[in-house]
Amino acid sequence: MIQFKEISLAFGDQVVFADFNLNIAEGEKVLLRAASGRGKSTLFKLLLGFQRSDQGEILFKGRRLDRNNLFYFRRNIAYVSQDVDLRNLKVWDLINEIFDYKYNRTISITKEKVMELIDFFLLPADLITKEVGQLSGGERQRLGLIICIMLNRPVWLLDEITTGLDQESKKVLVNYVLKQHKTVLIISHDQIWSKNNLVRVEEW
Amino acid sequence: MNVEEVSYLSIASLLILIIPVLVINRKLRIGLNKEIFYALARMVIQLSLVGLFLQSIFRLNNPFLNLAYLLFMIMVASFSAARSCSFQLFKLFIPLFLAFILPNVIVLLFFNAFVISLDHLFNARYMITIGGMLLGNCLNGNIISVNRFYQAIKQNKNEYYYSLSLSTNKTEALRPYFKDAVLASINPTIASIETIGLVALPGMMTGQILGGVLPLTAIKYQIAIMIAILIARYFSAILAIIFTSFQAFDENDVLIF
Repeated sequence: MIQFKEISLAFGDQVVFADFNLNIAEGEKVLLRAASGRGKSTLFKLLLGFQRSDQGEILFKGRRLDRNNLFYFRRNIAYVSQDVDLRNLKVWDLINEIFDYKYNRTISITKEKVMELIDFFLLPADLITKEVGQLSGGERQRLGLIICIMLNRPVWLLDEITTGLDQESKKVLVNYVLKQHKTVLIISHDQIWSKNNLVRVEEW
Repeated sequence: MNVEEVSYLSIASLLILIIPVLVINRKLRIGLNKEIFYALARMVIQLSLVGLFLQSIFRLNNPFLNLAYLLFMIMVASFSAARSCSFQLFKLFIPLFLAFILPNVIVLLFFNAFVISLDHLFNARYMITIGGMLLGNCLNGNIISVNRFYQAIKQNKNEYYYSLSLSTNKTEALRPYFKDAVLASINPTIASIETIGLVALPGMMTGQILGGVLPLTAIKYQIAIMIAILIARYFSAILAIIFTSFQAFDENDVLIF
């Protein structure tokens, strides 16, 4: 479904990728594991077109990432960035804004649905009345995941969404993600993701 | 109009009051005297040249010449605004030039035609003075709006990317930064409209009253010019962001600057 083909990328004289290849099949859950600075997050940014590679190409269902297919890539991918960089608004207002974006308007969201997910991921019920700046890191990560779930796009990119969570929350989150019929790319240093046979580990 | 003509000698007499400033600076070792001399000399030369120049432009009062002078002022404004952004000077010049010229010329001509009801829209006495006031305000406004907009995106790069992934659409992802930049540009004008006359009489009104115009007439002009400034500054700020954004992002919606 997703193919990184012979990707090369360097920032100055720091080489991040040299002839990097990766194939991901539909429905696969892939854990990306590499030392810090080896380009895990950059890989997500390449896939979304936020970063260009020096060489190589990226395919999504046979379509090459370029100007014409950029929108196709983005609308098929839900991304949860490492720090869940949301603007400092009330959570509920923010959710409304996100689902008022033109492309997301067809998705119907209700407060009940959001509350259900908030409850499921062991978040406090008053979360939606708080401002993003008041949330803890762990709360923001789960909020990012909830938005990602509601966007209901076929591919998920999850960048460090379990870091700093307690064991119980981690378990709930990991079990939920692995059960989905989605193609999921995971960046995490957490062992919990690989303690099963559902996840393919890619290490470099 | 009976304006008291100021003689050169009487201006020079003001220098007597500067002597204590110089003496105190010297005694307290505030190294400012050189700067004061330089600034004063520069002002005298600069304004003398402008005065001579304007006098001949006003005497000729040729519509084409007036228009050419206005264009020159707009070019200088575009250049200053582009330079204040310190990045990509030449790429920004044309978008900024368009952002200056469109609202300013439209508002200026409207003002001359319908507010002052001039027979000659390109009359130097109005076109260059009013045009200069509008332009000066737009310059301040555009420096704020363009700088704010791009700095906010640069400082919140990850936030912008995340929004872009959520929305899939650049315009939507940029909207909050656009809104903040326009507000930052317009707020000072709104504040000055609110307090006008209470703190200080605006320069144009002061000038007109000194020139012998009745305060009530001067006020009418001042109200009209404030409205014109607000409109020109608003559109100029918005257009400056929109036009520069065509140059500022690559085909993947990533900021190039």
